[in-house]
Amino acid sequence: MDSIKANLLKLRETRKKILGCLPLYPPMEIFHAMDLIPVTLWGLRDMIRTLDESDRHIQNYSCSVARRAAEFILSESGMMLDGIFAYNACDTLRNLPEILSNGLQDAGRPLPMFQIHVPMVPSGQTDAKDYLCNEILSLIRLLEKTFHIPFSSDRFQDSVEKYNEVRNLYRRMEKQVASGKMTFQDFMIAFHSSGFLPVEDQIRFLSGELDRCCNKESKPGNHPIMISGILPPPLPVIQAIEKAGLRIVCNDIASLGRYYGYSPGLNASVEQYFVDFYENHIPCPTLLYSADNRMEYMISVLQKTSAEGVIFVGEKFCEYEYFEFPYLEKRLKDKGVPSVLIEIAVDDEDNIASLKNRIDAFAEVIGQHEGRP
Amino acid sequence: METAKIGAGKHLTQVITKAYMDLHERAANGAFVVWIAINVPAEIFLGFENVVYGVPESHAAMNAAKGVGVTQCAKAEQLGYSMDLCSYARIDIGCVSDHGKDSPSFGLPKPDLIVSNNNNCSLLTKWFDVHHRQMGVPHFLIDVPFCYQPQKEKDREYIVRQFRDLIRVIEQMSGQKFNMDRFCQAVDHSIQGVAHWKKFLEFADRKPSGITAFDSFVHMAPFLIQRGVPAFEEHYRLLVEETEQRVANCVFPVPEEKYRLFWDNIAPWHQLRKMSSRLADLNANIVGATYTSCIGTKEGSFDLYPFDNTDPMHFLARTQNSYICPHGLELRKQAMAGVIRKLKIDGIIFASNRSCKPYSITQMDQQQYFFNQEGIPTVMIEVDHADARKYSEENSFLRIEALLEAIDAKRAA
Ligand code: SF4
Ligand code: SF4
Repeated sequence: MDSIKANLLKLRETRKKILGCLPLYPPMEIFHAMDLIPVTLWGLRDMIRTLDESDRHIQNYSCSVARRAAEFILSESGMMLDGIFAYNACDTLRNLPEILSNGLQDAGRPLPMFQIHVPMVPSGQTDAKDYLCNEILSLIRLLEKTFHIPFSSDRFQDSVEKYNEVRNLYRRMEKQVASGKMTFQDFMIAFHSSGFLPVEDQIRFLSGELDRCCNKESKPGNHPIMISGILPPPLPVIQAIEKAGLRIVCNDIASLGRYYGYSPGLNASVEQYFVDFYENHIPCPTLLYSADNRMEYMISVLQKTSAEGVIFVGEKFCEYEYFEFPYLEKRLKDKGVPSVLIEIAVDDEDNIASLKNRIDAFAEVIGQHEGRP
Repeated sequence: METAKIGAGKHLTQVITKAYMDLHERAANGAFVVWIAINVPAEIFLGFENVVYGVPESHAAMNAAKGVGVTQCAKAEQLGYSMDLCSYARIDIGCVSDHGKDSPSFGLPKPDLIVSNNNNCSLLTKWFDVHHRQMGVPHFLIDVPFCYQPQKEKDREYIVRQFRDLIRVIEQMSGQKFNMDRFCQAVDHSIQGVAHWKKFLEFADRKPSGITAFDSFVHMAPFLIQRGVPAFEEHYRLLVEETEQRVANCVFPVPEEKYRLFWDNIAPWHQLRKMSSRLADLNANIVGATYTSCIGTKEGSFDLYPFDNTDPMHFLARTQNSYICPHGLELRKQAMAGVIRKLKIDGIIFASNRSCKPYSITQMDQQQYFFNQEGIPTVMIEVDHADARKYSEENSFLRIEALLEAIDAKRAA
């Protein structure tokens, strides 16, 4: 997508060091506070069209998120990066840093790698706060050593405020979508356009978009639904959903609602901030300790937004999501909430017609359905 | 050529049958039942008087080896579980769905507690969550940090803390007291048994090899379901003695051994007999495998990691990253390079296994490394460890034969 490329060029112009972060929930505020520009390497669907470099290192039965991130880093685009961050987000991603290192080494442009382990134990079971604090502080020390930039608590607070502001703007935008002042499609265009921007520019851009849509007439109607998955579906699928008479009013998407749904409090020390950040994160199948809260969370969002159904957007080969679908579908059914699973693969372009059929059929079900959670 | 059934083979059948019968019987008589991931330290449960454990992964492997893997997978798929999910998980979920029907051991007794870990893979915790929700049974998750370098002390301490919490939870739930002496005794049986296991694998050092990797796959079962008991130690002692005798009598699995191959990935449970005999017809022997070599080691090396007689809890924590998937590419290469030199391997079969992405994801780089840097011919074949539908014998053997040709060509050069 042109906007990603344009934004990447802008990033380069800042002459700051750029840190490529593997998904899903890296501690962006730390990097920003250290005068780095962190970019989370997902949402690359429209930019990464071929997977030649990735295919030399990773089997094609890995998910598209990992393959595209690898392609980005190993191809020419990766030349803009000054380092890579990863945490134990999933089995695939924990293996990527070394695979990438290998590939970069071969290409003659090694990059520093930064890793932390985010504890996955449920808090009532083993207290892992100290462990996480130590991981965060060690990461900071390593960043300081590598980039010769000292960490400052004041700057960190400033970064926290900025990232909270971005999350807040996304949340406000989502509300506009729910009230019908903005389509989900427009929200996604704004979301993609703000991706890969420095956080300050994101704030400016999103604020402008919000001002614009606040002046619009509210257009509610159609059947409100939720989408859930790792990434939002591609734009043609969103269009198909909207065309089928469905309106996405809320989401349980990792790169959207799960990311911006919760902001930790201000004025905590950096390590306590991230204890809060991960512990109280919106449930996600990759945050293993949060699994038991996921259904409850989804139901509460469905109730709040009066969404009448759920479309699960399955990221092909993401076992984290796929293990939970049957359970979630069943629980939703018990609550009278219809749901459907659509699978998005690397070559999803070829599948759009069949996805449209599923979406149309689902819209019919929703149309006939009375139940609410 | 078929490997003749030896005494240890009979012993193995006895050990497994008894293990499953005891498990069901003791569960029926009120024992506290735990389901565990393969490498959760079983010795902890033996520290209690009346706690028994079942291992869903191993039970799934047995289903696959006995030819009912696909039947069980299909049941899980009927329930909505994707065919892309790990086949062990599908077998297990399928098996639980109708209370062990079709399972050679009638399934596993219902658990009181489920203990997973994320060292081999964290999707196993998602799989165990399925049971946790469906059965309403608590799920204890042991979080083992992934290793890029040798395991760090901070990680070891973190793992030990979780072991202690697990003990506390079992004490609370079962009303039984953990007994340190019983636990130490169990660790001792495991250590002795594993030492025998390593001796058994050493019969592959010689030419022709005294064993095949298929023997080692089959004889892994006690390691998976019977650690910490005298029968475990006894089984591997017997196995070593018998193999020693066979070698002394010049009885070799592939007497005209021409190609010494190495296997990387989980055993192809549904193909053991077929694959080993077809390879033997080609005078090829898979003499070793990462899957079996990693037992009793620590990450980065396939040498036995000895117990220093200090703290058994620490020792168990120290070995938590040894099982291939819990550590990264560099450590995998390091361990594999060592064993490949030691066994004088001619070629490597990388079994790319879409059911086990954590095992497979580093293989393309490993393949390049061993071919380019170590000069060893390699091949990548597609094998699902437990779902026979995702395996093509013809395609695989076409590639394996090409590998043998490459070995010949290298020799000729
Ligand atoms: S989509 Fe799933 S498997 Fe892929 S990177 Fe994300 S969490 Fe990992
Ligand atoms: S994905 Fe691999 S490591 Fe995980 S449970 Fe399945 S076979 Fe085991």
